[in-house]
Amino acid sequence: MTTRTTQRLQASFVRPTVTARLLRGRRRERPNLLGGLASVVWLVIVAVPLYYLVASSLRPSSEYLTAGPLSIPHHPSAANYSTVLSSGFTRYLVNNILVTASCVVLVAGLALPAAYAIVRSRSRFVEVGFTVMLMGLAIPAQATIVPIYLMITRMHLYDSLTAIILPTSAFSLPVSILVLTGTLRDIPGELYEAMNLDGATAWTALRNLVLPLTRPALVTVGIFTSLGAWNGFLFPLILTQSDSKRVLTLGLWNFQGEHGADTPAIMAAVTLSMLPLLVLYLIGRRHLLNGLTAGFGK
Amino acid sequence: MTTSVNSGRPGAIWAVPALAFFAVFALVPMVLVVALTFTTWNGLGSPTWAGLANWKHLFHDATLGQSLWLSFKLTVISWVVQTLVALPLGVWAAGRQRNRAVLSTIFFVPLLMSSAAIAVLWSALLDPNFGLAAKIGPWLGVKDGNFIGQPSLAFYTVAVVIAWQYIPFHTLLYQSATRQIPEVLYEAATMDGAKRLRQFWSVTLPQLRNTVVTSSVLMLVGSLTYFDIVLILTNGGPGTSTRILPLHMYLTGFSSFQMGYASVLAVILLVAGTALSLVVTRVTGFRRMQSQREGL
Amino acid sequence: MNKVENTAINSYNKANSAQVSLQTFVNDPYKQKLQTGLGSPNAPDIFFNWGGGNLEQYVKAGQVFDLTSALNGDSTWKKSFIPSVLNTAKINGKYYGVPVEGVQPAFFFYNKDVFAKAGIKTPPASWNDLLTDVDTLKSKGITPITVAGSQGWTELIYLEYLLDRVGGPTKFQNIVDGKAGAWKDPAVVTSLTMIQQLVDRGAFGTNYASVNWDNHGTQTLLSSAKAGMELMGSWEFSGLLGTFPDVIKQNKIGWFPFPGGIPGGTGNPKDVVGNPDNYLSVTTTSKSRDTAVDFLKKTMADKNYVKDLISIGQVPAIEGIQNQLSTGSYGDYNTFVYSLVKNSPSFTQSWDQALTPAVSQSLLTNLQKVFNKQMTPQQFADAMDQGQ
Repeated sequence: MTTRTTQRLQASFVRPTVTARLLRGRRRERPNLLGGLASVVWLVIVAVPLYYLVASSLRPSSEYLTAGPLSIPHHPSAANYSTVLSSGFTRYLVNNILVTASCVVLVAGLALPAAYAIVRSRSRFVEVGFTVMLMGLAIPAQATIVPIYLMITRMHLYDSLTAIILPTSAFSLPVSILVLTGTLRDIPGELYEAMNLDGATAWTALRNLVLPLTRPALVTVGIFTSLGAWNGFLFPLILTQSDSKRVLTLGLWNFQGEHGADTPAIMAAVTLSMLPLLVLYLIGRRHLLNGLTAGFGK
Repeated sequence: MTTSVNSGRPGAIWAVPALAFFAVFALVPMVLVVALTFTTWNGLGSPTWAGLANWKHLFHDATLGQSLWLSFKLTVISWVVQTLVALPLGVWAAGRQRNRAVLSTIFFVPLLMSSAAIAVLWSALLDPNFGLAAKIGPWLGVKDGNFIGQPSLAFYTVAVVIAWQYIPFHTLLYQSATRQIPEVLYEAATMDGAKRLRQFWSVTLPQLRNTVVTSSVLMLVGSLTYFDIVLILTNGGPGTSTRILPLHMYLTGFSSFQMGYASVLAVILLVAGTALSLVVTRVTGFRRMQSQREGL
Repeated sequence: MNKVENTAINSYNKANSAQVSLQTFVNDPYKQKLQTGLGSPNAPDIFFNWGGGNLEQYVKAGQVFDLTSALNGDSTWKKSFIPSVLNTAKINGKYYGVPVEGVQPAFFFYNKDVFAKAGIKTPPASWNDLLTDVDTLKSKGITPITVAGSQGWTELIYLEYLLDRVGGPTKFQNIVDGKAGAWKDPAVVTSLTMIQQLVDRGAFGTNYASVNWDNHGTQTLLSSAKAGMELMGSWEFSGLLGTFPDVIKQNKIGWFPFPGGIPGGTGNPKDVVGNPDNYLSVTTTSKSRDTAVDFLKKTMADKNYVKDLISIGQVPAIEGIQNQLSTGSYGDYNTFVYSLVKNSPSFTQSWDQALTPAVSQSLLTNLQKVFNKQMTPQQFADAMDQGQ
């Protein structure tokens, strides 16, 4: 920080009591009506479908056609949930967890060393590689489904969880590397130099300097990759087939097809598919949301 | 003690695993897809050589023009609607009041839902006879709740569902960015007698410029890939009224089993995505974003 | 249907050392799964298909095992199937599949209560009767006919029947054979015009384009007395039995054939369209080919399997079961379906199974547009003729 900055900050600290009183007084006088109104409108738009979701899931199937879509269930029952669970949902959940965990490990394991190299190595090859990666941000995954399908079948990986994990991880790499390079660039060069002077190897520097300092960014990468892998749809759709390899999203779509007229059961399936993430969200909301955006703060 | 220039620096080898992995599963398919445009393949057996036949077919594809137009419309509408809602909402949600935190918890729930979950939920909501659409339709001027079945209306309905899905994320971006705006700026503005609206225009918006760029880049590039929701909600219908380009490509490949021609459409999608991304990042100087807080 | 298959599989598994298992999908995703599945090393040993053009594409790709010698070598087995139905699985003179379910002609289902309340005493016997009934129902505020407009194949049945009634089965045969200008035949345009007249008349209500068949939208409307009629394949009966059993058990649903008497039409009013049957075929790459063939031999014409099929309202394509049908459960329905097929001079296969996937796709999309008044009949004919 320069002296000028410090002085300005000190100057602003001198005045706080006056300002704070003024501001506090102001805010109490005029509540933000327009903002409040708008937020209530949006609340309705978000909350009503969610209410419908939960209310319908608790409605006995026979009641659905006669009761209104928004009415409160007269005899709430968890029967729909057991219908869903006995349709193989636990297997889909396990598959989802396997896929997501593998993607996170794979992406973090590949992206961190690469980001480290991009920021610290002087190699032209790496520079070019990074540019190519950034272009990769723009590749729509859908555009590659035909060749990836061809490749996966030729590799004899069709209808396996591995088939989902590989392309999903690959397409999460550009964003992850971007976030990590952003954070790594913020580590002052002097710190690296200091470690070098002490004779540290690149590996030691990674372990002792980089890893601790990039923890928030790694969390972001983990969360991003998890969300993408957990809710992935296209690759599972194209690359898996049997019920034992189904993930939650496909299981949900299939369930809708099989139980079409039973809307309450379908709504129970939707709720169940969200439940794990919802639980994590309620426990660590701040962490989750901060993690999602930490990398974009700059 | 001399240290060589490169000691302690990671070598290129550190980046090789990631680059190689990406090359195999993202770059090679890109090359393959171009190669596949010169073949005929229906998914069974092996592709057979077809020369320029698929490229020539581009000019005879009556649906292509509509797909491109629909994709373009969806991109623009999504960007306008989502930004106009997410920005003020994010700013509002950044406030420290207790009730805002509670409401925000609800606002962000759609973020947790997969596209499949959202599409299945809205399919039920939009059922013209038994869903919410039947009840609310008349209030909105759609007497028979036929949102997803009317060609013109289906498109906007899909845009609304997509907005419902993505606005929470962008709200989050704006909220997080707004929270990082230093209080001193607002204090200075208040000192100068600026009211709340004025402060929004003169302090908040300029400070959010980088976030608008980030959010817009994500929206524009992402909009080319709104696939899952459209597939489950309408499958491109009614007729072809929601058959955006990615869907046209998927149906051509995996419904009509014309993988060669589908590859041509994929190439168009790729080119469009790359071009759009290049243009937007170049125009907004994304990669070289200046800090908005110099001099503080 | 899944239950019946599972029962058969279970009994086979018990009686034999080799084991068989079943994998299910919904209609539209199934076709894509099958295509990609057959192209992969994880191909199933036996797969379900619609015979005709649908089966032909797999045969062309060398994916299907030729069952001719198995059939010819076991004449009891071969003779149990109704020949015209077995022949839909005959490609280039060889048999590639055996019937697995029942014959599935399409016809009208109707809600008896709705008709009674509207004062309609008997189901329509001619086209003009149908139009009158449509008007009557509409005036009472009921959707006359429910159709799942969000999926093209449900609308296709109308075109299939109308083209046959207007011009006879050769018109579609020309299309299948790829004769030049077959799509632009005036009979095609007339049929489509009649469809649009039905739309304009309000026969389908207004929101049919949002209704979905896969999630039983039409069944729900028909059973809950919100609609009067539905034109659907005979499988709808077992569908209703599964989702709305009460309405079948209380005898609230009736049926009648697609009427004839279309002014100027040359087709035989007894012709039917639909699925002659569904078939099971064996893949060439199957590692358990002998077991697969053995399973088919022991199950498809087995009397217990046939009995189970009949009990869920299917009419198996098996010879000589008239008695069984009339005395079994839902005898009226089954006899109706069986005689409809036995007495029809021609049984046209569903177009989207007879034509290639690419053509079927554009057929369905364009037909949806005709139903939604986004395309004129002539534009449809031109587009299909140009391969759009």
